[in-house]
Formats: sequence, C-alpha cells, structure tokens
Amino acid sequence: MTRKREIRFIIIRSLVAICIALLVATLLIFISAGGDTFHEKLEATGEALRQMLIGPLFRMSKKKGTSFELKRLADILAAMIPTIFTGLSVCIMFSANQFNLGAEGGIMLGAFVSAMVAIYVPMPAGLHAVVAVLIGGAVVAILMLLPALLKTKLSVSEMVCSLMLNYIIMYVIKFLMNTYLADKSRGQIMSYPFRETSAIAPIVNNTTFSGAKLTWGFVVAIVAVILCGLFMYRSRWGYAIRMIGINQAFAGYSGMKVGSVIVLSQVLGGFLAGAGGGVEMLGRYTSFSWSALPGYGWTGITIAILASNNPYMVPLAAFFMAYLSKGCDLMATYAKVPAQLIDIIQGVIFLFFAAEQFLAKYRQKLVVKSAEEEIARLNLNKEG
Amino acid sequence: MPDEKTSGPGEYVVQMKQITKIYANGAAANRGVDFNLRRGEIHALMGENGAGKSTLMKMLFGLEQPTSGEIFVNGEKLVLSSPSVAIAHGIGMVHQHFMLVPSLSVAENMVLGMVPHKSGIFIDKAKAVELTRAYSEKFNLHVEPEAKVMDIPVGMKQKVEILKALMRGARILIMDEPTAVLTTQETAELFVELKNLKKQGYTIVFISHKLNEIMEITDRLTIMRKGKSMGVYNTKDVTKEEISRLMVGRDVVLSLQKDKAVPGDTVLRVRHLEYINEWNKKMLNDISFDVRRGEILGIAGVEGNGQKELVDMLFNFNTPNAGSASVNGKSILGLPQQKIRELGVALVPEDRMLYGIASGASIEENVISDRSGEKRFNKGPLFNMKAIHAEADRLIKEYTVLCKSRSQQVGMLSGGNIQKVVVAREFSNHPILILADQPTRGIDVGATEFIRKKLVELSRSGIAVLLVSADLNEVMELSDSLIVMHNGSIAAYFEDTAGLTDEIMGEYMLGLKKQSVEEVRRVCHDQET
Amino acid sequence: MLNFLKMLATPEFFYSIIRISAPILFATLAAVVVEKAGFANIGLEGLMMFAALSGSLVSYYAGSWFWGFLAALATGVIMSLVMGFFAFKLKTDIILVGIAVNMMGSGGTLFLCKVITNLTEGKAMASTTGLITRSLCIPDITIPLLNQIPFLGRVLSGHNLLTYLAFLFCLLTSLMLYKTPLGLNIRAVGENPDAAASVGVSVMKIRYTAMAFSGLMSGFGGAFMSMAYAQGWSLDMVSGRGFIALAAQAMGGGECLGGMLSALVFGFAQALGIKFSAIGLDSNLASPIPYAVTILGLVIFALVRSSRIRKQHSAAALAKGKAKAES
Repeated sequence: MTRKREIRFIIIRSLVAICIALLVATLLIFISAGGDTFHEKLEATGEALRQMLIGPLFRMSKKKGTSFELKRLADILAAMIPTIFTGLSVCIMFSANQFNLGAEGGIMLGAFVSAMVAIYVPMPAGLHAVVAVLIGGAVVAILMLLPALLKTKLSVSEMVCSLMLNYIIMYVIKFLMNTYLADKSRGQIMSYPFRETSAIAPIVNNTTFSGAKLTWGFVVAIVAVILCGLFMYRSRWGYAIRMIGINQAFAGYSGMKVGSVIVLSQVLGGFLAGAGGGVEMLGRYTSFSWSALPGYGWTGITIAILASNNPYMVPLAAFFMAYLSKGCDLMATYAKVPAQLIDIIQGVIFLFFAAEQFLAKYRQKLVVKSAEEEIARLNLNKEG
Repeated sequence: MPDEKTSGPGEYVVQMKQITKIYANGAAANRGVDFNLRRGEIHALMGENGAGKSTLMKMLFGLEQPTSGEIFVNGEKLVLSSPSVAIAHGIGMVHQHFMLVPSLSVAENMVLGMVPHKSGIFIDKAKAVELTRAYSEKFNLHVEPEAKVMDIPVGMKQKVEILKALMRGARILIMDEPTAVLTTQETAELFVELKNLKKQGYTIVFISHKLNEIMEITDRLTIMRKGKSMGVYNTKDVTKEEISRLMVGRDVVLSLQKDKAVPGDTVLRVRHLEYINEWNKKMLNDISFDVRRGEILGIAGVEGNGQKELVDMLFNFNTPNAGSASVNGKSILGLPQQKIRELGVALVPEDRMLYGIASGASIEENVISDRSGEKRFNKGPLFNMKAIHAEADRLIKEYTVLCKSRSQQVGMLSGGNIQKVVVAREFSNHPILILADQPTRGIDVGATEFIRKKLVELSRSGIAVLLVSADLNEVMELSDSLIVMHNGSIAAYFEDTAGLTDEIMGEYMLGLKKQSVEEVRRVCHDQET
Repeated sequence: MLNFLKMLATPEFFYSIIRISAPILFATLAAVVVEKAGFANIGLEGLMMFAALSGSLVSYYAGSWFWGFLAALATGVIMSLVMGFFAFKLKTDIILVGIAVNMMGSGGTLFLCKVITNLTEGKAMASTTGLITRSLCIPDITIPLLNQIPFLGRVLSGHNLLTYLAFLFCLLTSLMLYKTPLGLNIRAVGENPDAAASVGVSVMKIRYTAMAFSGLMSGFGGAFMSMAYAQGWSLDMVSGRGFIALAAQAMGGGECLGGMLSALVFGFAQALGIKFSAIGLDSNLASPIPYAVTILGLVIFALVRSSRIRKQHSAAALAKGKAKAES
C-alpha cells in the first residue's frame, strides 16, 4: 500500500475506534444522566458530553460563553507528566515483545525512593531533585532485573512476575509508611515533608503554572521522549530491541544477543517508570502519601498501545488520555457522571486499537486498490 | 467418464484424470496428471521434492482442490471438498508429520473425534482400549493402547496413525514419506504390515523417493517430475536406472558461464560429523569434507538425507553427537551465532521468512542486522544514520532490489526481492565462508539468475562457498565440485562437475550407487583425515 | 512468638485458610482449563469484579441471593465470550484483551455501581455494602455429623456453600478434563490443534468453550467475593486474586490438584496476614507474602522443569549412544 494510504488508514481506524468508545460512553452517560424525561436526560447527556469534550480546555459559563483557559491546558499538561514516563517505559518493554506490567509498581516505588531522598538526604537545591529522581529510577531499574532475568534464564512469565512485584511493592511501602516513616503529627498517613531543596519548580513562577503544578518535570518528560525516541530508532540497542520484538529468531541468527537485550529493555523500562515517579512526586507533592498503586502504569500501557510503541507518539497519546481523564473528572463534578467512566472508555479504545482484524476487510480493499493501481501504472509505462 | 474395470479385483478404485493445480501466485504444482490406483495394490508415487506428488495426494484427501480435472473413487465422480468427504469415501491419509496429541494415550488419540461414551458424559476408557486392541490385532499393528504417545517410539506412532485411518473406514491408505522418520528396523516392520494390509484387500499409495524400498514393496509406480507424470510402470518391469533417469533429470539444462575455479587453502574443515535425532534416527553418518577458498562445493541430494541437519550444525542451530567442524582452525560447533559471524561465516537460510528477515521491519533495518554494532555505523551512542543510509542504498542498488525506498517494509516485497535483501546482507560483510541453503527456492527467474551470478563472482574473488540445493540445475551448474548426500552419508564426491550427467547424479542421489570410502575421502584436501 | 504460633494452631485459623483459598481456587480452575486449551486468560481479575458487582446488585433487586448468584455466573460467561470474540475473531492479542478487561474491571465497575444505584436508589453509591443484608448473601452450610468432630469439625463445617463448591469443582474439573470427551478435546486442541482438526474437532468451538468455562468460574469467584466473603461489593475487592490464580496455575503444573494446593498456599499466606494484624503487627507485612511466595514458587517450578528436561536430554543422549553402538 502507498505510504499516504497507509497513514490515512491508520488515522481512519483510530478515529473509528475512538468514535466507538465515545458512543459507548455516550450511552453510559445517558443512562446515568440526571432527569426524569427522555428530553431532560438528552439535555443532561449533551451537557455532560460538552464538559467531557470541550471542558478540559474551555471554560463554559452561561454568561460569558465558552472561553479558552490557560490553566486548564496547564492542568492537562501537568497530568501528562507521570503518564508520559510510564508510557515510555511500556513502549520500550513491549517493543521487545515482553509483557512486563511492572510500570505500575515501578512508578510508585520510584516516587517513594525519591521521596525518601528528598526527606532524609540533605543536598543543595537543584541537585537534590536530580539525584532523588535518578536514585528512584535506578532502584526500580535494578528491581526489574528480577522478572527480566527470570524470563531469559528460566522462562518464567515476566507478566505474572511483574504483577506480583507490583503488589509486593505496594504493601512493602505501605508497611514502611505505617510503621516507620509516617509523620505521626498528621491526620492521614503521610511521610515527613520533603526538604525544600528537593522540590521541582513550576516552569514559570506564576499562579497558573504553580496552581496546575506544571513543573520542569514536564520539560524533563519531553526530553525523555526525545531520548527514548533516539534510543529506539537511532541507537543499536533500541534497534536490537525492536528487531527482537518483530522476529526473535531473526535477531538471534543475525548475531544479536537476545537475552541481554531483553534484560536491557526491562531494566530501562524500570528506570523510566521509577524516574517518572520521582518527577511526579517532587513536582506535585510536598510529602509522600500514596497508599495504593496510582494507576499510571495501566494508563501507560494504553498510551503505549495508542502510540504503537513509538516514543515520539507518546506525548500525543498521553495528551489524549489526560484530556479524556480531565473530561471525565469535569463530568463528575458538573454533570454528576462518575469519573470512572474513563476506565471504560480506555478499555474500549484499547481493545479496538489492538484488534488487528478490526477493519481488516477495509484494509484489504485498500491493499488491492493500491496493487491494481500499481499494475495499471506499470502497464502504462510499458506502453509509453 | 471413468474407464472400464471398475469392479472386481484389479479394477480401478481411484482414477484421477488430467489433474491440474495452479496456485494463486501462479505456481503450477500439477499439470495434466493422470493417476490411477488398482484395488489391492501398493502403488508408489515417486518424485523429487517439488515434483508435485504431495500436492496430488492432498487433492485426493480433500485438503486441496484441483484447478481442473476429475477424480473418480470406486467409479463415482467426486468432489473431495474436505478431508471429511474423503474419509467418508474410504480414503485415509497417514501424514509425514504425525497428527497425534503427545500427552494423550494411544487409545485416546485413536478415538479422538469419535469417543465412546459411558453413562452419557464419561469416556468409556475400557471400550476405547478394547477398540484399539481389536484393530491392532486385526491388522497386526502392535500398539500399546494405554501408553502415552509421547513415550512410544516413532514406529509405533506411525502404526497409531495407520490404525486411526483404518478405524475410520479407510480402504485406501495414502502414506506420505512413511519411512522418512523410521529406522531400518522400523521400516522392515512397516513393510510387513503393509503387505499384510494388502493381503486383506486394502489399497496403499506410498509416496517416497527411496528406490530400494519402492522396488521391494510396491506393485506399480508412478513417476512425477516438475508437476507432470512421467508414466506409470509395473515395478517388476522397470530397472532402478530407468526410474532414476525418469525421476531425476532436467528438462532444460542451464549452462552458466564461469571461469574455472582455482581453489586455495581450506576454509571449512568438517570431520566425522555424526548426529542422531530426537527419534533415534541417525541423520548424519561420518560426514567429512573440506571447502576451500575460491571454490563452490555443492551438496546435492534429495531433501531429507541429512542436508538440513548438516547446515544446522554448521551455524549452531543444533549440535552434533560427534565430530568436528572448524573455520580456519577455529571450531564453530556450539559457538554462539554472533561469534560464528565474527569468524567470517555467513548463512543464507533455508527458511527465509523465519530466519532470513524480520518481515515487519524495513529493508534498511534488515540489511544491516548483522553489522549494527560496528564502529563505522555508530557515532558514540547513536547510529551514524548517514553511513547506514549509504550502506542500505548501496546494497539495494548493487543487488538490484526492486523497492520503493529503503524504508519500505521487507514483507511487502516479492519473494525474489526478499531473497535479494537476504543475500545482500549475507554476501556483503566480507565473509570468508558462505553457507547457501536452497538460495533460489521459490523465487522468480530474474532474482535466481542474479543470485547465482553473484555467488560465482564472490567465489572467484576468493570466498569459500558451500551450496546446498535440491535444485539439480543449480547444484550441477554452480558447483565447481560437489558431493552427493544419501541417507546421512556422503555417497559420492565429484571433483569436477564438468561431464556429470543427470543419470549419474540420479544414481547416486537415489542410493543406487555409492562411491568407495577412498573416493569420498578425496573431498578432504589434506594429508591427515 | 510462641503465643503467635498457638494462635495459628486453632481450628479457626485453618477454617480461614480454606475460606480465603476458595475464590482463588475458582479463578485457578479457570486458568487451568484455559491453559489446557492452549491459551491464557489474564482478564480473570476483571471478570471477577464484574461478576461480583452484578451478583450483588441483582440479589438486592431480586430480593434473593439465588438470582444474584445466577447473574454473577451469567456475567462471567457473557463477558468471557466477548473476550473470546476479540481474541479469536478480531485477532487481538489475548494478553491485551485480558489487560483491557482488567482495566475496565477496576474503575469501570465503580462507575456502573454508582450509575445503577443512582438510578434505582436515588443516590450514587460507591459500594453495595449498604444495600446488602445477610439474607441476601449466599448462605453458610453446617454439615450435621461433620461439625461434631473435634477440631476438624470446626475446620470443615460451617463454610459457605460456594467454598464447598470450589473444592468440589476442583474435583469435577479434573474429572472433566481427564474423563470426558470434552476434556479430551480441550487437551487435544491445546497441544496439537492440527491433530484435533484432522479428526473433525472444531478448534474454534473448543476455544470458546474453554473461554466460557473460565468466565463461569470467574462468575463463581466473583459471586463468592461480594456475596459470601464480604457482604456486598466494593472497589478493588478482588485485589489481585485473578492474578494470583495465574501464578497458582503455573505453580501447580497446570493441573487442578496442583492449582488447588497452590491456592491453599496463598490462602495460608493471606490468613497469616490477617492474624498478624490481629496481634497488632502491621498487616502490610504479611500481605506481600502470597505474592512473594508466587514468585518463589514459579522459580522453583521452572528450576524443577528445566532440570527434568536436562535429565531427559541426558537420558536421550544415553539412548543415542546406545543406538550408535548398535547401529
């Protein structure tokens, strides 16, 4: 198929998947919308949809109409910070065809370790955050050696192993928080406050950016995107990871060290998730109070699927997910539709995006059309 | 219309008339083939790989449909649209790769799909065992009903397959290369069983290319070559040499222009290689040979005589039980494939889609897969994209790969162009030894010509080439010297391929003739052996 | 320490092990059967969540636990068939289908709960515990003679109906797999689909059947969670049991009995954790134990399997040597 047609097909397929998800969402919103008559419910649904689709960027009021609010954009961008990191993490791990689901536990552990460094290790400002984040990433990277090595040496399922690790991480952190590290002077379980030197500053020091917590972490995230993109497409290790993911037999026969590269991909993925946790923790919070897995890991998986494991597409996918997520939050606030709708939308999009045979017949038609045109062109050349 | 003689002994129980099978991609597997079976005979269907014999029988078993032609079974014209239809008309097939479930018992495999019930929901195990035993005794095919299939020897596995077909009412048995996986002892047993079945009135089609076996057990034989039937003969009326001449031969003799080889030092030295496969069959028997710089050593032979196993050993897809193989003095057996490549060995694999390419990746990504870590392609931590693009472009041009761009997905290319990508990579990283395994199988004429020319060119520039090919033209015309493999041993060594005839080749390939040990030893070009 | 051990040696402790293992066992059976059919269903977690919710809600609306129970089963079966459609027909990687179901199973169930209760009760509830009374839960059963045996009686009697069913199903599933034609077909399709197809077994039908079975078992497991283990449904109440089941299946060598033993190991670990918090120790110390035991178990299982393969190879090598000597 021609490149243009291929791209057009991908766009159409993506749009159809999104439309189906939105249709499902609309149906569910309708059921949950307030109002007694059909008409009222329809209105309520419309209102909810408006909140979901337009709300994230635009303020809607009866008096002033619809207006773009920079703060809303800043909110979305800030929300993208952790999910860009987990998205990148999953991209790299899934590219080698390994279903390591440890980004979820990884981001929590990275956040926790960074928090510890932020609280207990005094360091000059600027350096403090960097070191804390790097250590957070490193710890998770080392931990990912476990599922990676178990897979390459013993063929133990990296999926089950990483899933178990997620829970172990969560409970160990909760235990440490409960027993040793909680600041007993506070109401809920939270750690002591981070030293000020460790905070990651908002990009611009105005109320919009600091209110939204749009910190330099976002810049770091974008830098990470570029680095991962370069790594995956412009370095020999990323290349090896991708080739192993496409055809492991071919990679081995070509002389690549399959086992080592698989381990590398999972360790790197761990680092990214851990570092992401650190960036989010030190940018948004002043003490550590996560008592459950945050869910960024699962969003990261959706992002990776949407981005087809391409790091450069991660910000777009992350923006899309953050937009929808905020939309659902707004719906919850203003239209009384529970925010968890996002999980259902996410699942539906995920399913259709990952379905190879989805619209396969349409794709086949395009392939045939391209082939026919190619033949016609060749014939024309022959005659001419 | 079926011919006469459709009743009584010796009548035609199967008639296939003017069968033609052309696949969607244009390849013709059968052209106007006539084939008939007499009731109660053992009939051999012979031919080299690719001759069309398997396809013909697949159509008789309903696995494929003919493009044109008619099939009559017991005088009735039939459309065998699926195996179930074939089975319903008494045709059964014993596949080369057994259709058995390893962890299930023999009896369970036997009754799969037609399980006897006990009180409605449970398997009547006793009945299944009894049925198995009954059939086993009736046909004198000894099997252990309660043993798990993964624990029984290959010979017994085959008996189970035969019994499965018989139990489902087959009166006509198609056996696809039945002795390929059997030891000599098991083959002898099989023949006793087949003769027994024949006595009971069953008809057997015996697909094979093993001359000795066919002479021993069959009544008539049909020879196929390049999709056509070369005739049907009474086994006792025809000599092995005649069969060989009909089976092995080139319709068109390709003649390649090439300078005479001036072989140099030995690059690849193989000594006394032995290999017994997982089914206890000896696939390589005391294989010794040398490949020298500047020469193309061909390995000819019908597929299945150990060539695949040999190549596997040389590139560490498997390890032998005994023997040695070294490149310029360094052993390559069991060496990691990366290290084998570092020694200067390149492999054009037989399965190009599995090993040769990553079909979802671009041409460029495929063509540098063996050199991605080299200094010239890397600038610090990143690729030197300019150098890589240049390399890819250069190779695409030099190997005339027809494509839209270097970033086109390799899987989208035609078979010939895919193979060109493979050889572009394998030939271009300054190898000192090229292992080419069926390098032009299934690709178009243009690509074939190009690759063959390239091989000769590289050989003359001083590279050692080991060419394994089931294509007679290829192996006879490209090779400077060649060895013939039969039954896991080297049957012949010809120092000069000039003057070799198809007849001679056929006789060695089919095991009619075998050179002496001294004659074969001449392929080792050193004082010590 | 001794006190603690004394606390463990009570019939109540063993009773709790059995009780806790039951839902894991249901999910493990699902994983076992599906693996025998040649694939993996990692969406058990999500399936159990949806089943738990529907069971709880329907029992409330219908006023009886029986209908809720059936609803849970139906939910599991129907959703698993939809999963099968995406995996087998639309060729979505079945791992990804499972991940999607789990994703939806978490927040999605909360969403549905809120929406449905809002419709019927007038306010959105985040869990159904407020609605469910004891009578709407699946009943416990006291076994008359059994409960009079000292110690064992209190361990084995008085369990929930579903607990007994779980262990019964373990036996029945094993019987199904090894003694019925359906089980034979499942195992054949899982090991060599070509062989099965060649004798007329519909590979697709068998795969869907295995999938539906896993949905049914998930339905039992989910029903157990919200209608027996706890009184009502709440967010994330399955807390990874669906994933533990995958590990239990692997640790148990892919067989029902092994899976049951593995499930009991996890039940033990979890019961231990509860005891920990009873004596004032942080339950978070014991909570990771089942998951850590899983990884350990998988490693041990892999080591055993690889050493068995090595032994096989050396046995084969011996045989080869023998064959060579004789040839």
